[in-house]
Amino acid sequence: MKLLTRVLSRKLVALAILIGIGVWLLLVPALTNQLGANPLDRLLHVSGEIAIWTLGAVLSLTPLRVLFPRSTIVNALNRHRRYIGVSACVYGLIHFSCHVLYQGDWDDLLQSFTKPFTWFGLAVLSILVVLALTSNNWSVRKLGAKRWKLLHRLAYVAAMILIYHQSIAGKGHWYIARWLLLSLLVLQTARLIKLSLTRRSKLSPVSVKAEEVSH
Amino acid sequence: MHIERKRSWQLPDSAVTPETVYLGRRRFLGACALGLMAGALLPRLVRAATSGFPDSLDQAYQLSGVKLTSYNDITGYNNFYEWGLEKSDPKVNANRGWKTDPWTVEIGGLCAKPAKYDVNSLVKAMGGIEQRNYRHRCVEAWSMVIPWDGFPLAKLVAMAEPKPEAKYLQFTSFMDPKNCLGQRSNDFPWPYTEGLTLPEATNELAFLATGIYGKPLLNQNGAPMRLVVPWKYGFKGAKSLVRIDFVAEQPRTLWNEMAPNEYGFYANVNPEVDHPRWSQKTERVIGAGVFGGRQPTLKFNGYGPEVAGLYAGMDLRKNF
Repeated sequence: MKLLTRVLSRKLVALAILIGIGVWLLLVPALTNQLGANPLDRLLHVSGEIAIWTLGAVLSLTPLRVLFPRSTIVNALNRHRRYIGVSACVYGLIHFSCHVLYQGDWDDLLQSFTKPFTWFGLAVLSILVVLALTSNNWSVRKLGAKRWKLLHRLAYVAAMILIYHQSIAGKGHWYIARWLLLSLLVLQTARLIKLSLTRRSKLSPVSVKAEEVSH
Repeated sequence: MHIERKRSWQLPDSAVTPETVYLGRRRFLGACALGLMAGALLPRLVRAATSGFPDSLDQAYQLSGVKLTSYNDITGYNNFYEWGLEKSDPKVNANRGWKTDPWTVEIGGLCAKPAKYDVNSLVKAMGGIEQRNYRHRCVEAWSMVIPWDGFPLAKLVAMAEPKPEAKYLQFTSFMDPKNCLGQRSNDFPWPYTEGLTLPEATNELAFLATGIYGKPLLNQNGAPMRLVVPWKYGFKGAKSLVRIDFVAEQPRTLWNEMAPNEYGFYANVNPEVDHPRWSQKTERVIGAGVFGGRQPTLKFNGYGPEVAGLYAGMDLRKNF
């Protein structure tokens, strides 16, 4: 357990996992001709799915930390929120690049921009790009902690739009989106319940700690 | 004076291979087939429910100027949600012990001669099979060219003798939740159903396919018999049929039930009417590669001369 925590808290390990997912699911199949009959379409879908799960992962870290403030693993993972968030943006950009390539030419690309389905995806990507660009310490200082935090709450807006974007992507089914929605809702609800309980009674040291951490 | 008007799909005589060459080709192919039969294909050919019929290309449906999609792509890139949501799933999941031989098809509803057929004897009753090269356009804006083997649906309709009140045909796919994982989920109103109007069903192009590239259909392509309507989006081609019914009212169809704003009953290929989420003006050709780009989609998938008359006066935007 201790070893796992130590390994997981390493920045290099986090980076390797986040890049490794893309290498394993996108690059290796592409280089070994394992993408099937419609390679770009496959890359488009897989990169989109990675982006969804990465954004879901980063958004579940804050509530997890509030719920399990003493879990060393949760704390280890929380060190990497910046990396995970930025990689959600990177996979989103890969997804968008695949979309551009898949359309083939300008006319078809412009056609795709007439669809609300595409707008929702672009809205999410724009948010993620802004958040990734302001994810550095310099931006936190420049904006001030309060404004920076407010800006980065846009991640929740992005997740909501993304869930909608994905749920209409399937033909009437929404396998991925509903799991993401369910887990985020459960975690956030639990987090809010715990926060309101600790606000009422600031006696237990554990809840005080949770309160501090969440601010 | 007798003037013969050529149909758009009829080729000039000059395009026809001389008979001697053609027969020689068949001898050559026959020798190849014998060689193959000695090999690994033997079990599949003997076991398949629709095997054992001589087959040759119907020259009227040769389709010039297009490249046939590879057998590998046709049998490895399938939308067959009963066997998984990924295109590569059916090839794996539909071949884990799902039996498509023997197979019974029931023809019923408003017709004079309802009957149950073993699929092999049905093919026999239809006078065997022929090969036709058809364009295949998926509603997801990709396309293939597929050499189907099978027989015209019109023959089956004629045999069943529809009653005057029969206006539509309903096609029903297999239902086997015990062996079929996808059908255990209630996300879809299984079994898969599709429908055609009677005039559509008796159009010369409507086809019941039992094979691809001269081989019996593989499970992932809808073995042993499926519908093929090349001027409509691919989802109209219901796979692994167990029932064909003559009905008076427009039948329910699965995708129309799932998303009526996206998938209409007619589902004719039409570059002028977009899908809500993407344009239908162009299509990706399967097998053309990553940078293969797109080609323009043709109205009625290029079969306008044969089928446009079926929809004369109809608002195709409303009846998409």
